[in-house]
Amino acid sequence: MAGMVHDEGSSSVTSSPLQMFSLMSLSPGIGSPYPLLREVSPEDRGLWLIRYLVGCANLVAAGSVEDANLYLEQISHLASPDGDAMQRIAAYFTEALADRILKGWPALHKALNSTKISLVSEEILVKRLFFELCPFLKLAYVITNQAILEAMEGEKMVHIIDLNSFEPAQWINLLQSLKARPEGPPHLRITGVNEQKEVLDQMAFRLTEEAEKLDIPFQFNPVVCKLENLDLESLRKTGEALAISSVLQLHTVLAADDETQRRTSPSASNSSNSSHRQRVLHMKQRTLGEWLQKEVVPLYCASPDSASASSPLSCNLSPKMGSFLTSLWGLSPKLMVITEQESNHNGATLMERYVDALYFYGSLFDCLESTVPRASVERQKVEKLLFGEEIKNIIASEGIQRKERHEKLEKWISRLELAGFGKVSLSYNGLLQAGMLLQSCGYDGYNLKEENGCFFLCWHDKPLFSVSAWRFKR
Amino acid sequence: MVDMPNPSSQEVSSRDVAAPPAKKRRNLPGMPDPGAEVIALSPKTLLATNRFVCEICSKGFQRDQNLQLHRRGHNLPWRLRQRDGNAEPPRKKVYVCPEPACVHHSPARALGDLTGIKKHFCRKHGEKKWKCERCAKKYAVQSDWKAHVRTCGTREYKCDCGMLFSRRDSFVTHRAFCDALAEESSRDHNNNSAQDEQKARSSEAAAASSPPPPPLTPSTTVVSPVLSLQRSDLPENAIELVPSAPASSSLAATITAAAAAAAAAAAAATAGLDNSTVTGGNTAFTGIFPASVAPLLQASPSSLSNVVCTAAPPSPSTAEPASLSLFLSSTASSLFSRPDQNTQHLYALPLPPAPAMSATALLQKAAQIGAAATSASLLRGLGLAISSPPAASSHEATLVTAGDGSNLWSSQGKVESSSEAAGLGLGLPSQSSLFGNRPMTVDFLRLGMGPAGGHTGGLSALLTSIDGGLSMDRRFSGGVPGVLYGGAGGRGRGDDIGRGSWEEFPESKPGGPKGPPHHL
Repeated sequence: MAGMVHDEGSSSVTSSPLQMFSLMSLSPGIGSPYPLLREVSPEDRGLWLIRYLVGCANLVAAGSVEDANLYLEQISHLASPDGDAMQRIAAYFTEALADRILKGWPALHKALNSTKISLVSEEILVKRLFFELCPFLKLAYVITNQAILEAMEGEKMVHIIDLNSFEPAQWINLLQSLKARPEGPPHLRITGVNEQKEVLDQMAFRLTEEAEKLDIPFQFNPVVCKLENLDLESLRKTGEALAISSVLQLHTVLAADDETQRRTSPSASNSSNSSHRQRVLHMKQRTLGEWLQKEVVPLYCASPDSASASSPLSCNLSPKMGSFLTSLWGLSPKLMVITEQESNHNGATLMERYVDALYFYGSLFDCLESTVPRASVERQKVEKLLFGEEIKNIIASEGIQRKERHEKLEKWISRLELAGFGKVSLSYNGLLQAGMLLQSCGYDGYNLKEENGCFFLCWHDKPLFSVSAWRFKR
Repeated sequence: MVDMPNPSSQEVSSRDVAAPPAKKRRNLPGMPDPGAEVIALSPKTLLATNRFVCEICSKGFQRDQNLQLHRRGHNLPWRLRQRDGNAEPPRKKVYVCPEPACVHHSPARALGDLTGIKKHFCRKHGEKKWKCERCAKKYAVQSDWKAHVRTCGTREYKCDCGMLFSRRDSFVTHRAFCDALAEESSRDHNNNSAQDEQKARSSEAAAASSPPPPPLTPSTTVVSPVLSLQRSDLPENAIELVPSAPASSSLAATITAAAAAAAAAAAAATAGLDNSTVTGGNTAFTGIFPASVAPLLQASPSSLSNVVCTAAPPSPSTAEPASLSLFLSSTASSLFSRPDQNTQHLYALPLPPAPAMSATALLQKAAQIGAAATSASLLRGLGLAISSPPAASSHEATLVTAGDGSNLWSSQGKVESSSEAAGLGLGLPSQSSLFGNRPMTVDFLRLGMGPAGGHTGGLSALLTSIDGGLSMDRRFSGGVPGVLYGGAGGRGRGDDIGRGSWEEFPESKPGGPKGPPHHL
């Protein structure tokens, strides 16, 4: 869609439509500078919100905290976590922007977040809700399982490594399909990786229960660790066919790369923090009206974090990710299925990520808007605790903290091919299965697209998630 | 189809024949007997119609057997009747294809039958001289052609959309993605004809063997509707975005139709067959839906979920409030449970009333306005008048009222200022219609309001005032300078100083509005 920052850096004109929009002077007229809220139609309110959001982000990127504050004020009149999709998005994006601003004072930020209680059970619950409300995870699982079934045809010993093991339903489904195999089920071993022990305990319990019921020789091997610290060599075992499944998890390894890059260019990180503060100190107080009369919104200025070393091409030189993929390759997996978000949230500058994130989460919020009523607490939980946290991570965090480094499929393809994997076309059967799932569960408005053997899970025509399969290639 | 190297048959090698079989065993085509004699014939010889010639009357025959029969009629003395000597047992002969690029050119993959190699050569490397009348399909070998003509048109499949197919697999594939089926997807899953169940089975076989790529447009075409909106003449852009939604809904329809057709086919298949054949036959499908396809027919979600999932209790670790239990019912752990039918009915939430309401649509619209602003201003901002007097005048009013006295533009000629005001304010005529002329004045750009410029007047002063204030680099190029100085450029033509600074401006500093701190 227009406005997507596909070609970063080079032709910034294409990135400009939303920027342009945010700069346009609004409709003429005499009167107060504040939009009359009662008169605003939802559509116009949405457009105002977009304008404000992009404008505010520009200011934050430039370090103009005072003016950003004015924008945030304006947005707060229009945004709400209970409103329509655009209002909710605005609420979470402004929260992320505010978080980012606050990080200019690291101690302050730490103090504010020091007493936060994060419940593991809440996180588990929220992920389960996302699984239920939106079909994306289900589709990814179905496609993954179908690919595994086809690859493991005839195999007697199957070992699956699950890089982000939190949903038992995925493997329960596979167990059932394996049971129905004509040659009978294989001996199945699943290694689940997760940072939290409780999640893995629950997985183990559910899966072994299911396997016993189906009478399948099964073993669950929990590994509690961070993905980038995973010791893959210890997982190797001869004589078994290996499949790896990664659902929305692989991108977190990219965060570790930033740490090394940051270390090599310390000036960048220092400058970002200090310039933030300097600009804050030089601000003067002003009212919105005064500011509007005098000031002009700075356009896409060179934000401090753009001075950091990363260029659009440096994503290919990610040593940590490269070594992780190479060690995965070293296990010679028969199949590796990767599901990732199809959006570029790993741009070097805030604005690149911001615009892409707006589009991506815009669609995700639309999904929820169309399937779940507004009053639903569950929806709010998903929006706040899952999407909101991701948005905050993308926008407010930098460096190794920024875990949600989503990237588009073409970047993953080049990374994986570099690491020695060969692409496996996902079969037509998988597509049919996924389509049947959509039909049978009554999900409306979701689409599946196939391109070059990879599947895209779309909301209407916007691809949101990509599923691709790979194999060990010499 | 999963493209995997089958480890069991990596290389193409001739198979070892074990002990000589009691019964004469046929080798697989292309895997010849290692002890056989390899005969390489030239293309001319291969295609020669009469290779076997009678030595008595020089009559030619295609086959050796025919020649022998003919020779009998010559009443030869018995000695001459027999062929020269007895090679017992005669060595088996295999033939290689004379075409060097062919797989069968190497002796390891020779074919055992002369007729076979002749047919192969014609089929693969020959010209197709035989044509079917009905379907215009061409063949190089006459026997192939005859065989085809016998069946062509005798058995036809017709899709509901009207297309005719002679091949079962292409028919099934088409049906999976047929648009017409999308409309009927909600109707009968009960096509209990034998033909349907056979089609379903063969569809899986065909799908397993040759998965055709679905006729979906690649993602680039999704972008094009929006890009094409960058027209210089701005129509009512609110409505223009909507066509992209129906266009994509057809895309959606194709996928959902695929699902529907597949569901119908699979449902019909299992409904028509015994349970035993369900598990025996379609492993690909029934593996995932062990017995749930039957409930699919009845469209009862509770039975579906009961069959598919295990009745697991909700997560024991959290004490869930009552509302949550609606969502996390016993179907929590299955992939194929509906997202709670009850609540869906209770809150029968329709899709957002207008497409423009959804966040994605809003973002697209915003981008389109922004993009159009760029193009419009680029095209017209350079002095060309924007044809919308009401908007222009209102923009002028904006600048006048919002000014703090240093309204440069208003001091200029009125005629010009209207067009420039329109350009400066990025005043797209459509924009005022967009916001309906509401009393909102939020001129973020405040282009004309350089306080330092003051009343020195003239374009140059304005430019230098803004120029001086600019300290931040902007990676923004193209659109904005044109936009900002649309009017300025136009006016600059008549003004040397103005023009000079205007022209140099975009190169040295792609200038534009500066940040707030610099207006202090």
